[in-house]
Amino acid sequence: MPDAHSFGVDPITCYSWNKDQTQLALSVNNNEVQIQNFANGKWSLKNTLTDHTQRVTGIDWASKSNRIVTCAADRNAYVWVQESGKWSPTLVVLGITRAATCVKWSPMENKFAVGSGNRCVAVCSYDKENNWWTSKKIKKPIRSTVTCLDWHPNNYLIACGSTDFKARVYSAYIKEVDEKPAPSNWGTTNNFANLMGEFSSEAGGWVHGISFSASGNHLAWVAHDSSICVVDANHGLKLTIVKTEYLPFMDVIWINESSIIVAGYGCVPMRFNYKDSLTFVGKLDDADSKQQPGKVSAMAQFKAMDSRAATDVETTLNSTHQNTIVQLSVFAGGKERCTKLSSVGTDGQIVIWDIK
Amino acid sequence: MSTTLQPYLKAVRQTLTAAICLENFSSQVVERHNKPEVEVRTSKELLLTPVTISRNEKEKVLIEGSINSLRISIAIKQADEIEKILCHKFMRFMMMRAENFIVLRRKPVEGYDISFLITNFHTEQMYKHKVVDFIIHFMEEIDKEMSEMKLAVNSRARISAEEFLKRF
Repeated sequence: MPDAHSFGVDPITCYSWNKDQTQLALSVNNNEVQIQNFANGKWSLKNTLTDHTQRVTGIDWASKSNRIVTCAADRNAYVWVQESGKWSPTLVVLGITRAATCVKWSPMENKFAVGSGNRCVAVCSYDKENNWWTSKKIKKPIRSTVTCLDWHPNNYLIACGSTDFKARVYSAYIKEVDEKPAPSNWGTTNNFANLMGEFSSEAGGWVHGISFSASGNHLAWVAHDSSICVVDANHGLKLTIVKTEYLPFMDVIWINESSIIVAGYGCVPMRFNYKDSLTFVGKLDDADSKQQPGKVSAMAQFKAMDSRAATDVETTLNSTHQNTIVQLSVFAGGKERCTKLSSVGTDGQIVIWDIK
Repeated sequence: MSTTLQPYLKAVRQTLTAAICLENFSSQVVERHNKPEVEVRTSKELLLTPVTISRNEKEKVLIEGSINSLRISIAIKQADEIEKILCHKFMRFMMMRAENFIVLRRKPVEGYDISFLITNFHTEQMYKHKVVDFIIHFMEEIDKEMSEMKLAVNSRARISAEEFLKRF
C-alpha cells in the first residue's frame, strides 16, 4: 500500500531527502524552502528558508556533506550549510539572466550543476582562494531552456534534457577540483563542455526527466511525445525508443540496472524493464484493487443536482496521486537496488511506494 | 446530423486531454517573467502544432497548445441572421465576465466566436479531467441555449405584435 502524505493544496514543486530519509527539504510552489522532520510517519516543520525572491525550482540535498543547494526562478542559487540547527546561505554567482530550472550535486559533492532558461548548464565549484562558488557554463549547442539534468557516477559526465527536444551528455571536468578523468565508455575527454553525445526520439518532444543508471552505462529520459528513450553505452551508444500510449511522463528513475520507473501526467508510476528493448511491466498504483468509492448514495446525487445542477458526483481520480506526478526519488536502496520510491505531485502529496 | 455530434465531442475531448498536460515554465525571453507561451508565441519550439477539429464547415474547434498554456477556440453554428446576432450578444455577455469564468479569454481568436485560455496555474488548482468536462459540456449546451433563445425571441415578437395589433 503506498504511503501518502499531504502538504496542503498547493503543488509541491521540488524536493530532496537527506542522507537517511529523516528530513525532507521541499517547496510548495512559492519562494520558500521548508525543512520537515519525518519521524514515525509524522511530519514536523523544522526550518523555513526564505532567501529566494521567486518560485524555487530545484532543491538537492548532498547526503555526505549535508549541504543543500537550491535554485529559483529569480536566477539565483544558494548553498545552505547547517550550523547548530540553523541553515545559513551562501549566494552562488551563476551569471545567468533567466530562471534556473533544476539543480543537482555531483556524486562526490564537490560540484553542482544548474540548468537554466538561459540555454546553458552552469557547473559550479568551490573556489578556495576567494571563498565562493564560481560557475562555468556549458552552452553549445543547447538551443532552448534546460529542463532536467543528471550526473554520471564518475563525477565528470553530465546529461541534460532541454525543450529543444534533445538529450545531451557533456563532460563537466573542472581541472581545479577534479582528478584526471578515467576513460569511460561514453568517450574520453579532458575538456570542459565537450559534447559526448546528442540524442533525440525521432520527432521528439520537450525532455522532462533524465537519469543515469547506477553504473552510468545506461541513460534514460522521458519526453513530451510520451516516449521513453534509453541509450546503452555498453553497445556503442545504442538508442532504444518506445512510444507509449499514455499521457507524457515527467520524471524517470532507475531502480536497478535493468528497470526504470516513469511517472507523469497519468498520475500513476509505471515500471518498464530494459534488456535490449523496453517492455512495460506494470503500474505501481493498482487502481482496480483499491477499495471502490462505493455506490454513491441517492441523497448525495440529489443534493448535487439541486445545488450545482450536476448529474454525477465523482470528481476524484482512482489513483493515489490526484494530479500530475512531478518528481521521483529513491527512498531506500539506492539506484542499484531500490526497494522504496517517493513521488511528489501537483496535488501537494508525497507518496512512498514499495518496489517488489 | 446529430450522429456526428458524439464522435466530434469525443475527438475534442481526447485532444484536450493530451493538450492539457501543462507545466510551470518561466519565460526564456524576458527575465523573471512567467507568461502563457501560447499567447506570447516568441519561442517556436515551445508551441505545439495547432489542431482544428471540424464537424462541418460552420462548426469547428481550434486547439493551440504550448508548454504552459492551451487555447481553445470554438466556432458556433449560426444558420441565420437571428442566430448570428444572438450568438454575438451571448458570447459578448460571457466574455465581459471572463474573470468569473477563470478559463475564458476576453477576446475570441480571429475567425472564431469564443476562446478559452487554460494555463498551468489552472491545472494546478483544478482537476484536469473536470476542466475538459466543462469545455465539452459547454460545447454541448451552447447549441441548445441558442435554439431556446431563438424560440424565445420569436415567441416574444409574436406575442408583442399580437398585443399591439389588438388595438386596431
